[in-house]
Amino acid sequence: MNDDERNDKLIAAASKLSTEIVPERDLWPGIAESIAQPRRPGWMPMFAQAAVVVLLIGASSGLTYFATKSQQQPIQEITPELLFERASFGGRYSLGMDYQEAHSDLAAQMEDELVRLSPEIRADVEKNLTIIRTAIRDINTALQNEPESALLQELLLSAYREELSLMQRVGGLAQHVMSRKDI
Amino acid sequence: MEALLAKQASDYSPQMVSLDGLGMTDEADWISRAQRADAKAFESLYRLHVDRVYGLCLRMTGNVAEAEDCTQEAFIQAWNKMDKFRGDSAFGTWIHRIAVNAVLGRMRKSKRERDRIQLASDEVLSPASINDDGDLRDLSDAVNRLPEGARHVFVLYGVYGYSHEEAGNMLGIAAGTSKAQLHRARRLLAQQLEQQGFEK
Repeated sequence: MNDDERNDKLIAAASKLSTEIVPERDLWPGIAESIAQPRRPGWMPMFAQAAVVVLLIGASSGLTYFATKSQQQPIQEITPELLFERASFGGRYSLGMDYQEAHSDLAAQMEDELVRLSPEIRADVEKNLTIIRTAIRDINTALQNEPESALLQELLLSAYREELSLMQRVGGLAQHVMSRKDI
Repeated sequence: MEALLAKQASDYSPQMVSLDGLGMTDEADWISRAQRADAKAFESLYRLHVDRVYGLCLRMTGNVAEAEDCTQEAFIQAWNKMDKFRGDSAFGTWIHRIAVNAVLGRMRKSKRERDRIQLASDEVLSPASINDDGDLRDLSDAVNRLPEGARHVFVLYGVYGYSHEEAGNMLGIAAGTSKAQLHRARRLLAQQLEQQGFEK
């Protein structure tokens, strides 16, 4: 028997396998319980939007405070790979200018700190940043289609937080490495 | 994702359609009522399609508990998306796609995927739930031992009759990759079954 004949026989046999298999237990009660909850009520997105606006104002103010308080490093030119996705919030929302400026400052500061880290750590940081920014871009794209989605809004806000947190941690990590005297 | 689900052009192949004694108008009525949040009508759709959806989930995961979870997840997602079902494809095809996504999503989220694959590779499908006989039983068990990617393609292409383009669409891979995975699956299956005298 050659390979073709064997393959034909395999596919022919596979097509005879059962396509319908009866579950060993009734799965409907679990489904019924889940779908018994009302479909997404209309007031939820509005509530979520209001909560998001409040959070954004807080985040924006906090960042502005952080950016203006921290000692400014000379801002270096940002390399193309570190250019950031324009901070947005789906098709309907935009983060304020304060946030944009603070974000840019933090990014430039992080770039300055990054060069002091080992190539391995730098690669890890850039890899993580890429993942977070890809997520931000994808969630923004999804929000274009589902601007009312509270889940997407929450995810986006969380992703922005993750990005900022990582940038802040990178700055702290580099400063810590440079200031150690016990090595 | 919705567009992906809506784009499905083909229905089940004839061998898979078994709406014995059921007028299609009944299903259309249940769909229409389920879209208006009628849970009883949706339960009728569930009863009609659950064996086929569970079969797909079980063959793809090779694990009874995960297949049950994925089946429930697929129907819950279908309920939440009922208003988006426009009948461009059969309801069975539509929920099949949702089930494949549920399986893939679950596997992506699994933090112990390596352990799970190892467990699945050692697991024999429950005799109580699978009614394949003789050589088919051997083939079924051999399929269950395939690596994940090869198993998914073989199940969709070989067992459920989807084309490489359709299988690739469902799995989020290129048609060429689907062909390559099928080739790999065939080779591995042949090795397994040859040892069991499948050709004789």
